[in-house]
Amino acid sequence: MLPQAALRRTLPTLARRALSSAAPAESGSMTLNFNLPHETIYSEAPVSQVIVPGAAGEYGITADHVPIVAELKPGILQIMHEGADPEKYFVAGGFSITHDNSVTDISCPEAVKIDDIDPAAVSSNYEAAKTAFSSAEAGSVAAAEAQIDIEVNRAMGAAIGISLS
Amino acid sequence: VRLSPLLFLWPSKKKRTMTTPTTFWRLAGMSYVQFVTRASSTVRAALKEPAKSKAMAQETFSYNSSKWVDGVQGDKVAVDTLGKAGL
Repeated sequence: MLPQAALRRTLPTLARRALSSAAPAESGSMTLNFNLPHETIYSEAPVSQVIVPGAAGEYGITADHVPIVAELKPGILQIMHEGADPEKYFVAGGFSITHDNSVTDISCPEAVKIDDIDPAAVSSNYEAAKTAFSSAEAGSVAAAEAQIDIEVNRAMGAAIGISLS
Repeated sequence: VRLSPLLFLWPSKKKRTMTTPTTFWRLAGMSYVQFVTRASSTVRAALKEPAKSKAMAQETFSYNSSKWVDGVQGDKVAVDTLGKAGL
């Protein structure tokens, strides 16, 4: 029963995979839609590469990337434009969906420029979060929130070049 | 009669707690939305002015509560917490 069901699922998938090795795209650029709930940062913008902080690992997307859905972790999102320096945002989380046609949709609840992050605030918030975590009951929502603060502040510290431990 | 050693390795039928690996926030009872909202809040708290004031606007919220009687909405009253509105 189980192997038959699995085989029924894999056959269409294999067929789809065989069909999706299409010819390379004409232009070398991919299309980026980068949205926050309160702001559209990029809408159908042609960019050469986007480096995405996936929760399972960082990866780069260029034209013709295989379709992929990834949850984002708090980290740096880099957008490479043709012949310019990479544009960096620190994202708090969200999702990146790359479609068949070199279009990538990235939705984040909050994304900030790295230059807008205050190193003093990051350090003091990190210390406060560590204190809150040690005084919170293990497994409680307060402990989880403190742990979120610890991890996000550590990621922000890494983004601006201060190491927190 | 020699008993097979496998008999002692057979999984016990006693009730188990969740052993599926998952995130610390799920184990604490938070949903993804609650997790990512908290992470966004943490990012906003570490910004420099003027970006910080602009970003904090995303966090401010208020509640109004009104009672409906016979299909007619009553007056709206500002409410501090959902608990005070009876929810």
